[in-house]
Amino acid sequence: MTKPLHDCSIAEAGALLRNGTITSTALTEHALDRIKTIDPLISSFITLTAEQALADAATADADFAKGVDRGPMQGIPHALKDIYATAGIRTTCHSKLLVDNVPTEDSVVAAKFKAQGAVLLGKLATHEFALGGPSFDLPFPPARNPWNPDHIPGGSSSGSGAAVAAGLVRMAMGSDTGGSIRGPAGYCGTIGLKPTYGLVSRRGVFPLSYTLDHCGPLSWTVEDSAIAMEVIAGFDPKDPGSADVPVPDFRSKLGAGVQGLRIGVPRQWFVKTDGVSAETIAAIDDAAQTLAKLGATIEEIELPDFELFNACGRVIMFSEAFAIHEKDFQSRPLDYGLFTYLRMSMGAFTTATDLTQAMRLRRELALAVNAKLKDCDALITASTLGPATAFAEIDPNRPPNLLVQTMPFDVTGNPAMSIPTGFSKSGLPLSMQIVGRAFDEPTVLGIGAAYEAATNLHLRRPSFAVAKAA
Amino acid sequence: MPDDASDEQTLNAEFDALAGRAGIEIPESRRPAMLEGLKDLKRMTQLMRQPRTAANEPAGAYAILSITRSV
Repeated sequence: MTKPLHDCSIAEAGALLRNGTITSTALTEHALDRIKTIDPLISSFITLTAEQALADAATADADFAKGVDRGPMQGIPHALKDIYATAGIRTTCHSKLLVDNVPTEDSVVAAKFKAQGAVLLGKLATHEFALGGPSFDLPFPPARNPWNPDHIPGGSSSGSGAAVAAGLVRMAMGSDTGGSIRGPAGYCGTIGLKPTYGLVSRRGVFPLSYTLDHCGPLSWTVEDSAIAMEVIAGFDPKDPGSADVPVPDFRSKLGAGVQGLRIGVPRQWFVKTDGVSAETIAAIDDAAQTLAKLGATIEEIELPDFELFNACGRVIMFSEAFAIHEKDFQSRPLDYGLFTYLRMSMGAFTTATDLTQAMRLRRELALAVNAKLKDCDALITASTLGPATAFAEIDPNRPPNLLVQTMPFDVTGNPAMSIPTGFSKSGLPLSMQIVGRAFDEPTVLGIGAAYEAATNLHLRRPSFAVAKAA
Repeated sequence: MPDDASDEQTLNAEFDALAGRAGIEIPESRRPAMLEGLKDLKRMTQLMRQPRTAANEPAGAYAILSITRSV
């Protein structure tokens, strides 16, 4: 074996498990050692389930020995954002309000990983209720960016992005309501896939905004996100938003390249935005050229103004979030962290008419994007608009408005995947997102895999993590 | 034309009315940040009011199959 274990992808580790080169117990012990060494510096885990993880790894090893193969995640350590309910394991939403909450049932996603024999290492930091952060007034510290712990990892799937980038897990689950998978993926230099709305069950995941919430993976490689999707995608009749559609073969286009694909770039969205970094624009332009050299046709396109998507999504998100939290907000408002309080209270100020107008606009915007996707196979555009902000730059009295352009595809429901495009001069990751037609994750993943193979950006790990690796 | 002071007065009155309707008590120390948030929210709700006909309805807005069958 030439690679350190934590650099082996799920596919690579799976092959080693199946040919007997390594055991799940060895993989799990290695991950736990790494977490012990590195996590005190990045605070990505809220709860570590080491004892159960080692027991589950032993079960996976016994299954391998008997020739029982439950699927690609068997024996693979992973972790879940702490809004995914886990039976018998504390699920806090990073909040004082749920600090002692121990669910009796697994979320659907947790249950699917468990059924495959995957090894759960623990629960990961989030912004409080996937909304308010990064905050220092919560029961647990905020996660930090492995590329530079003085900087934020993005949110709200902050622990998921940090843990994957630091090589503590190959894949962690996040959730995305306005960009909470793709933002941390962008800031931490990982893959982050927000699937099509309805493709992955949200049942048992604490809601932020019912009609905008998406569950999806963050991983170090594109293939590992495809593998995670194989496990978690599928119709759930008990999730009201679930789509009863055939589940695609997520790995079917990983080696297919981009020859002949038409890829649209709504460049005006990000080049005209205040605060976008020149490095971000140059990196996306370079990515477009790379895809063109690989055989894709790149075409600049126009979409409705980005601010319309942002306004639409935020009004819906605030309204739905406040509806969920109304009772607690009235009875124990100061138990919420300040940033959560300030964000969520905006939902108290929206009217029924505002929400209806937002839903009418939502349909118009979704139609506009999907009309473009009749001509284009996919879109590429900015995910984050610059490198991760430093904690020191955040006003402790105001929740930060991070410069990301992820909300449009929560509004429309199209699949969107953040992928690294390079690094800033300060050594922090830059990113773009690849957007696809509804339920066409294979094309999104295929383009991502072609770009990843052409750039090999995933071969660079945070030096912080490398230096601390045992 | 309303001046800045009367705009602020109107915003504060609106703020108090909306908070009262929502049944939330707001600590005085949080009021300035929330007023800023309300201003931004009003900008967004204004932006959303684009010209559209009565037939332009929201049903199925988040059911993506309803969208894709319509384009």
